[in-house]
Amino acid sequence: MTASIALLGQPNSGKSTIYNNLTGSRQHVGNWAGKTVEKNEGTYTYEGTKYSVTDLPGSYGLSGNSDEEIITTDFIKSGQSELTVVLVDASQLERSMFMLAEFARLDKPALLVLNMIDVAKDMGKEIDTAALSEKLGIPVLPFNATDTKDYDRLKKLIAEEMKAPHKMTVAAPAEQADVKADSRAKFEWVSELISGVTKTGESVYKLSKFDRLMTRPVLGKLICIGVVLLAFLVAMIIMIPFMSIGKMIPGVLHDPVDQLLTGWNVHPWIVSIFSTMIPNVLYFTISMASFVFGVNIVFGFLEETGFLARAAYQFDGLLSKLGLQGKAICPMLMGFGCTIGGACGTRVMDNWGQRMLAMSIVWAIPCASIWSIIPVISGMFFSWWQTLLVCVGILLYVVVSMIVVSKLFSRKLAPKETRSGMIMELPPYHKAHWKHIIKEAFFKAWDIFRRALGTVTLVSIVFYIFSFSIDGNVNNSLLYRVGTFIEPVTRFFGMGWQTFMAFVSGAFAKEAVLGTLNAVFMGDNSLLAATFYAKTAATDASLLGAAMTQAIAPAEALAFMFATTFNIPCLMALSTTYKESHSLKWTVKVALFYICNALVLSCIVYHVASLFM
Amino acid sequence: MKLTETTADMQGQILSVGGDDHFMNRITSIGITEGTPFQTVRNDRKMPVLIYLRETLISLNRADAERIEVAKR
Repeated sequence: MTASIALLGQPNSGKSTIYNNLTGSRQHVGNWAGKTVEKNEGTYTYEGTKYSVTDLPGSYGLSGNSDEEIITTDFIKSGQSELTVVLVDASQLERSMFMLAEFARLDKPALLVLNMIDVAKDMGKEIDTAALSEKLGIPVLPFNATDTKDYDRLKKLIAEEMKAPHKMTVAAPAEQADVKADSRAKFEWVSELISGVTKTGESVYKLSKFDRLMTRPVLGKLICIGVVLLAFLVAMIIMIPFMSIGKMIPGVLHDPVDQLLTGWNVHPWIVSIFSTMIPNVLYFTISMASFVFGVNIVFGFLEETGFLARAAYQFDGLLSKLGLQGKAICPMLMGFGCTIGGACGTRVMDNWGQRMLAMSIVWAIPCASIWSIIPVISGMFFSWWQTLLVCVGILLYVVVSMIVVSKLFSRKLAPKETRSGMIMELPPYHKAHWKHIIKEAFFKAWDIFRRALGTVTLVSIVFYIFSFSIDGNVNNSLLYRVGTFIEPVTRFFGMGWQTFMAFVSGAFAKEAVLGTLNAVFMGDNSLLAATFYAKTAATDASLLGAAMTQAIAPAEALAFMFATTFNIPCLMALSTTYKESHSLKWTVKVALFYICNALVLSCIVYHVASLFM
Repeated sequence: MKLTETTADMQGQILSVGGDDHFMNRITSIGITEGTPFQTVRNDRKMPVLIYLRETLISLNRADAERIEVAKR
């Protein structure tokens, strides 16, 4: 038999931490029927009984009419869960108890968890939990979501409550017709409850020394940028060991698999799939996942300490101009690392339209892979200072793209009257709980790894078929035939068939660009091996450079670099955007825009550059 | 006066909040209700307004802060 419970709490109440720690990896992500809101369910077993846990979508209250609030209210009313665990932030008791005031009206069995009790203590706030429990009529548990020992107490209490559940005995706040009066009634209800249970903190607030610097308009922004650059550096260092292990896979697996399958008389075409392609797919996915792991560790740290909330405060003004709000700063910064991470990071936005808009803007941000290939290609054609200029030019166009995307899509996605401006709390600085951060980062990396493995394999097979040629010569592949056939068209956009093919492969994975260039320009190489060995057998840049500079003009190279940078990010980012937005229509719309944008840009860059070069 | 016209360290009280139900819900559920005492912590040009209210430091974007009437306390 399965017992079922639900978790209810405001943003920043630590709900997802508790959910993850209770259920571990036994989680299922789905959709609420007919809604674009994600449904998270998980299970855990305690003393022989299985518990299913539903993570109710979070907002500050229940009486608004957002999808999240309607879903949550309906779910609790339906009685599908036998017990609701209501989470409040003990360090901000008065404000966060608002959720309980909303819940009280639903009259269902519950228990109250006072999370962040450690923070409250540090701030000198004492809470008489026994007295509060007495007043409410339901059990109250002081809790620290990042302390693993507390979970046993929580599970034990849940088990006890399942046998003899409690409903609140205190009368719910009286219902008022208009929103203002209603909210006031709820807060009065809260004040009444907590008077005598806790003493309210001092009424004069002083910013801490660090916050006084962090909130300064110019200096604060500079600190944010500095910290984020440092964060990426640390993320890179974290990923190195995992990457190096991943890098060894193709080399280690190739020969044994090759010998084994050849020994079984398997056809060489099939052999190369298993000995070359699959190990490299593994390597790609491991690098991707380890990057996500590194980025999530540093951003998890910045989030938990409260730093990201300050960054949101700093950049709210700028982002409002794009139709977004301060909270979007985090996914945008993550976008410089990996677009996939950025797309997932838009979950902090609480309005679907703005979230989709944020994702489409994140696409314009060149990810780490792009930053690793552009200097290589540029270096073949231009001197170091010209390469620097190319990078500056790209950065400038990032800003232009963002503005264009916002202008184009914000009217539909986030019309002025539906935009939610930033109303958020700046939580006090917390100590980071490393164990918890690492665990969460691992979940996310594992999730990406699982999802990516399938997608990358599929794309690789498609690419394999296109690049396949019986004798290993590029000129006999389907890719070559198609490429040369449409060359008159691609020429107009500034790209010959070789660069156009590399441009296309970049839409699948930016990592493939160098490999494809290598294959199409060096001719004698098998395209497949070149693509997949791009990173393993390090493309010889000087050789490729010599071949490329002979074959194409600098103007074409420049056009190609811009086209590749501003094309759709990669197939994984596309599928992530679709999964996160649940809207195929918008994902396709935005993708089409980016493809057109890249081609037009390439065309302009090529024809303008041809005048000077 | 409007919340955006307050100066740092001013102690005040929320007088009224204007806007549609959606906005009212968002703003009141975070604790900004009529009669609540607050303190302006920072109010810089082109930056969100930082206020301290119900033991919480809250950042409010300027457009929303414009819709909140307050008085000195």
